[in-house]
Amino acid sequence: MKKYILEPKMYIAFGIVTLLFVINIVLTLTFPYFTAHKAYYDSAAYITVLIIAYVVYAISVHVTGKKSTSDIAIVMYAFFILWECSYKTGIVHNDLLIPSPEGLFHVFVEKPAEIGADVLGSLALLFWGFLLAIILGTLLGLLAGWIPRVREVLLPISNVITLIPPLMFSAYFIMIFSTFRQAAITVIFFAVFWPTFQGTVARVGQIDKAIIEAAKTMGVGTGGMVIKVIFPYCLPGIIKSISKSLRGAFMCLSGAEMLGMNLGIGYFVEKYKSFADYRCVLAGIVTVGVITTLIDLIVNKVEKTVIKWEA
Amino acid sequence: MSTGRDLSNRPNKIQIKDVSFDYIDKKSRFLALDHVSLDIKEGEFICILGSSGCGKSTLLGLLNGLHKAKSGEILLDGTPIAGPGPDRAVVFQQYSLFPWLTAKENILFGIKQSGKKYTKRERLAKADEYLKNVGLAGAAGKYPNQLSGGMKQRVAVARALALESDVLLLDEPFGAIDPKLRLELQELVSSLCTQAKKTVVFVTHDIDEAILLADRIVVMEPGKIRTVLDVELPHPRKRDKLVGTIEYEKLHRKLISSFYAHVEENIDAEVAL
Repeated sequence: MKKYILEPKMYIAFGIVTLLFVINIVLTLTFPYFTAHKAYYDSAAYITVLIIAYVVYAISVHVTGKKSTSDIAIVMYAFFILWECSYKTGIVHNDLLIPSPEGLFHVFVEKPAEIGADVLGSLALLFWGFLLAIILGTLLGLLAGWIPRVREVLLPISNVITLIPPLMFSAYFIMIFSTFRQAAITVIFFAVFWPTFQGTVARVGQIDKAIIEAAKTMGVGTGGMVIKVIFPYCLPGIIKSISKSLRGAFMCLSGAEMLGMNLGIGYFVEKYKSFADYRCVLAGIVTVGVITTLIDLIVNKVEKTVIKWEA
Repeated sequence: MSTGRDLSNRPNKIQIKDVSFDYIDKKSRFLALDHVSLDIKEGEFICILGSSGCGKSTLLGLLNGLHKAKSGEILLDGTPIAGPGPDRAVVFQQYSLFPWLTAKENILFGIKQSGKKYTKRERLAKADEYLKNVGLAGAAGKYPNQLSGGMKQRVAVARALALESDVLLLDEPFGAIDPKLRLELQELVSSLCTQAKKTVVFVTHDIDEAILLADRIVVMEPGKIRTVLDVELPHPRKRDKLVGTIEYEKLHRKLISSFYAHVEENIDAEVAL
């Protein structure tokens, strides 16, 4: 049952968060800059972010009813207040390396098309590399899990390959593939394929023998066993591993992009690093954080709706 | 008092002919079955009774085809058994329902594996009927991990019946169920199998269970059949009405003595040394 009304105690925390939120807004709009040389940016983007964060908090605290939701919000707004004040009062001196919050979020107003294109570019690469790796890794894993001879060949090989950070391959892949796109997809594939393969083999190995025997006595053949019994048995585990592999994949992708792509959010960060525009670098990093969190949320949601049973 | 069912003029459904089986590992060889023979009539309810390690589960493994006999053969309707198949439904001691399917879907799986050509509507109707027969009409949408042990075995029985095989093999199916529920399940299996005219082989180490269910009780000692006893008690049998009757006590005593006979022999042998 979802609760839409909080316990009385929780309203104290809710009140504190709301107060901090209002202080944040007031500070942003009215607190003057104490040093003349600071960079001014329109505060609209930053205020929008503060409001969105508050709306997300207000909804989630009512849906989850968790105390920690308020605590997290308090820490976040306290951090923003600190950042805002230390910048405007001039405690922070290095305008190049540490931008104001207004300045950071203003990047999203200045370059929405560029960031959007880079994010979509990254996601497209991620999608293809990840999809291929998950499908092939699962298939091969099911096969190796079920046939001992295949397993005994592939498992030791995979044990060696998975010890090498996949990003190290990218230096080489970028040279042998004709496009960066192919190279990046291959890196993601490498980052996801082998762990998926190993995870699937392990899951097949953990199947309760009684279930296999029951299926056999009901006349299920080898092909049917893999499709009708082993695959559905392993599916929750496969789905559960997706969020972890996605994180790994995104990490590799950002790395690969920084190593030589001409598109993608990793490239965005790398490019503005060479222009010494750290405001944009930070905005790129924030974007990666937001995107990975969103992917995580979606995957968890899918996980909960798909998995109706636990082994 | 009337006697049990007379099955003597029925044809043989299963013929176990001089079957041996051994488990071999690196160091040793263990002879689990040593030239065992047994004929089982069509529609007969056989209980194989024995203590653990006597080879009763091995014998069932040969009947369901998961094991292969080292020598000898087992005929089903006159044809040798080549491997596991849906013509012999099995209920295992361990819970073996498919955890990713609901109770009803588990039974539907059995119906599909039966190889009978039913329409989807017929299959769904049949699944509901089987669920009702095992007293679980309300649990159709539940997953196995939401069911108690007794409920799981009820679904397992329903799934086995759904295969619509002539032969039903049960390997200590209620071993892990508490005594009160156990009695309910025994009576349920007894009535369902008699209704459906199944040939049943039921492995157990529980003497009362064997008396309650069987037309014939096969008592095993390690590797061999010690004795075969007819149970001449009228059906349907109710545990509370049986206990205390002369026939029941006689049979019970007989079973106890043959059940423990080899234990005594072993002790004698050790004492003699």
